[in-house]
Amino acid sequence: MKSLLLTFGSLALTAGVVANAYMQNKQFYPSVVYITKSSPSMAVLYVQAFVCVILMGKLMRKIFFGQLRAAEMEHLIERSWYAVTETCLAFTVFRDDFSPRFVALFTLLLFLKCFHWLAEDRIDYMERSPIISWLFHIRALSLLAFLACSDVFFINHAYYHTLIKGASVQLVFGFEYAILLMVLLHIFVKYVLHTVDVQNENPWENKAIYLLYTELLLGFIKVVLYMLFLAIMVKVHTFPLFAIRPMYLTMRVFKKALNDVVMSRRAIRNMNTLYPDATPEELSASDVCIICREEMVSSCKKLPCNHIFHKSCLRSWFQRQQSCPTCRMDIIHSPRPQSPQAAQPAAPAAPPQQPPVPPFPAAAFPGFPAAFPGAAWPPQHPPASSSASVASSTSTTTTSFSTSASTSDTANNPFMPGMMPPMPFMPPFMMPPMSFGMSPPPVPPADFSGLTDEELRAMEGEERENLEARVQCLRNIHTLLDAAMLQIQQYTTVVSRMGGLDTASTSTVWSAERPTASAMSSKSSNIATSNSSDPMMAAPNPVDTSNKPDDSEVLEGAVGYTVPTETVLPSGESGAAQQDSEDSSELGEIRRRRLEKFSNKMQEQAKTDNNGGTPD
Amino acid sequence: MAGSALKRLMAEYKQLTLNPPEGIVAGPVDEENFFEWEALITGPEETCFEGGVFAAKLTFPSDYPLSPPKMKFTCDIFHPNIYSDGRVCISILHAPGDDPMGYESSAERWSPVQSVEKILLSVVSMLAEPNDESAANVDAAKTWRDNRARFNEIAHQTVRKSLGL
Repeated sequence: MKSLLLTFGSLALTAGVVANAYMQNKQFYPSVVYITKSSPSMAVLYVQAFVCVILMGKLMRKIFFGQLRAAEMEHLIERSWYAVTETCLAFTVFRDDFSPRFVALFTLLLFLKCFHWLAEDRIDYMERSPIISWLFHIRALSLLAFLACSDVFFINHAYYHTLIKGASVQLVFGFEYAILLMVLLHIFVKYVLHTVDVQNENPWENKAIYLLYTELLLGFIKVVLYMLFLAIMVKVHTFPLFAIRPMYLTMRVFKKALNDVVMSRRAIRNMNTLYPDATPEELSASDVCIICREEMVSSCKKLPCNHIFHKSCLRSWFQRQQSCPTCRMDIIHSPRPQSPQAAQPAAPAAPPQQPPVPPFPAAAFPGFPAAFPGAAWPPQHPPASSSASVASSTSTTTTSFSTSASTSDTANNPFMPGMMPPMPFMPPFMMPPMSFGMSPPPVPPADFSGLTDEELRAMEGEERENLEARVQCLRNIHTLLDAAMLQIQQYTTVVSRMGGLDTASTSTVWSAERPTASAMSSKSSNIATSNSSDPMMAAPNPVDTSNKPDDSEVLEGAVGYTVPTETVLPSGESGAAQQDSEDSSELGEIRRRRLEKFSNKMQEQAKTDNNGGTPD
Repeated sequence: MAGSALKRLMAEYKQLTLNPPEGIVAGPVDEENFFEWEALITGPEETCFEGGVFAAKLTFPSDYPLSPPKMKFTCDIFHPNIYSDGRVCISILHAPGDDPMGYESSAERWSPVQSVEKILLSVVSMLAEPNDESAANVDAAKTWRDNRARFNEIAHQTVRKSLGL
């Protein structure tokens, strides 16, 4: 109603002005001169021109869009305000050549911009609408063609104008239209992708990836254009304040696109390498993919938590979140296959003649499983343990404390018979021996079968047999430590051998190397605990000095053996067992760091192997 | 085929029409646009909202179900977990990562497993048991905590209002 009033008002005013001029001059040419000379008449004519532009816009909207949706209208108004503000800012830069023609050009730019925005919204709507009519396609295509023609025309015009007459405001128009052309290109690519998707009966998995890369590429071009524009403007005129907001927005969009691409690539890589395809039985067992609520027929992936999803659904979810949609298990931070079934399909290219390598090569020591139970390897070992802070490693140490205590208990530890978990699980897949031809590690004395209360009591005294019992106990610990060291060395040989194999087996190296690290840390803590258990033994007989050095001798022998390269050995003269345990805990610390370094190296190697091997 | 968001919304709409949960009606405002839904929620029985019928609008993002929809009551409702402009503040409507109140664990956030039905059921249980520890409407939370009789009175008014009485 208001716009109608405005339209007719301005029409009437224009008619009045023209009639008045004609009445006064009676001829065409003098009346034109009269109108151009009189400011009020010109003002009326400008208003009329503005109204005409709006009417033109409405007509074009009717032709190309029909009715605008509420959201589109909202967008348009919001963006228009920003654009008007920026245009006003631009006027301040070019105030010298301010003229009606100049205003007209800016108005035209704004006018075309509006149609670009509307086109963008409309094409985005394609994805949401269940029915796309032919009219929609005709309208979209003709609009895109029209906008492309006008953009190219104006870029051309600006280019030649700048060439002939030097830098002027046409520079701004040239860049603005170039940016608009990029926007248009983006819209067109989206339109093509949506159209192909709509024509296709099956969901098109790679569409999202194409969209992502288009956005990245065009975002990059836009950022470059803005940079160029900024540089030229600073050189020729002044700092273009009016271009800062769109430039910032463009950069943000580009950064987001870049981030999305990185996340998406990571998600794809994780899915291709870490998670197995769901088997047909699993597919038939589960009905719909929880993400898209569609039947799962093919190309589905199983996560370590046994939940199954479409590959494409999972990919787009992992782009945002690295967790299982159903149980929220953290995928990135516990992605290691926890069973051999998970490990083997991850490396399908493994040569068949190669014997399947158990994920835990600890199984290579058949005579030894009881001494270092599988309990020492937490089933969900954090992958970051190698680079982890002291806090996490101390936590692993504390967790393995009980297990290592149980270790020595099964053999000989008399001190805490109550708190031993009796080795609750010994996974069956740890049993098969490995065919790497290693010498079996020393077996602890067979006749030493756990400690009873009598034996415990036997060590609580100051008689010769009591001391002997204690020494015997320490010797057994020594033996166990020797065995542990041997085991570590064998691990390293296993790992280095496997590292030499082709890339297909690197994932197994990964899984193999991990338990090694954890086992090592448990070993070192094992040593620490066995040493720290020493003061408890020493406590009952603080007066006994004659045999004391014996004790510590044995102890240090153990420590010294487990780390043959260790140079910071205690010199052996520390009489107090307390001191000893402190030293050995320090040693344990050093050892732990070395092991961490070692496992880091191994990880890196595994990673580089992986990267080199999998084309991505 | 159309976009996956659209397909999922259509599937959910079909599911909701075939097996409507008790006390909840929901569907797209317009068959042309499945990304704007209207929902009617009846106040849970034996609460101060009993008998009321509350209208709400759900707005879905184009990447639904990867991002959560937004929900806004279009009628007046005085509740600790509903902003005075009608926006609903419950944890399953928040994407993991953004945490307006800083207390929600990611386990109760949005994930594609959730659905319109689950959202609406959560809202019903939220109506029955307000969570005054994370108040969106501080006045309402205060009244709920300190002056329950007054809260019930206001709730009854909104119920009457929602029925057009």
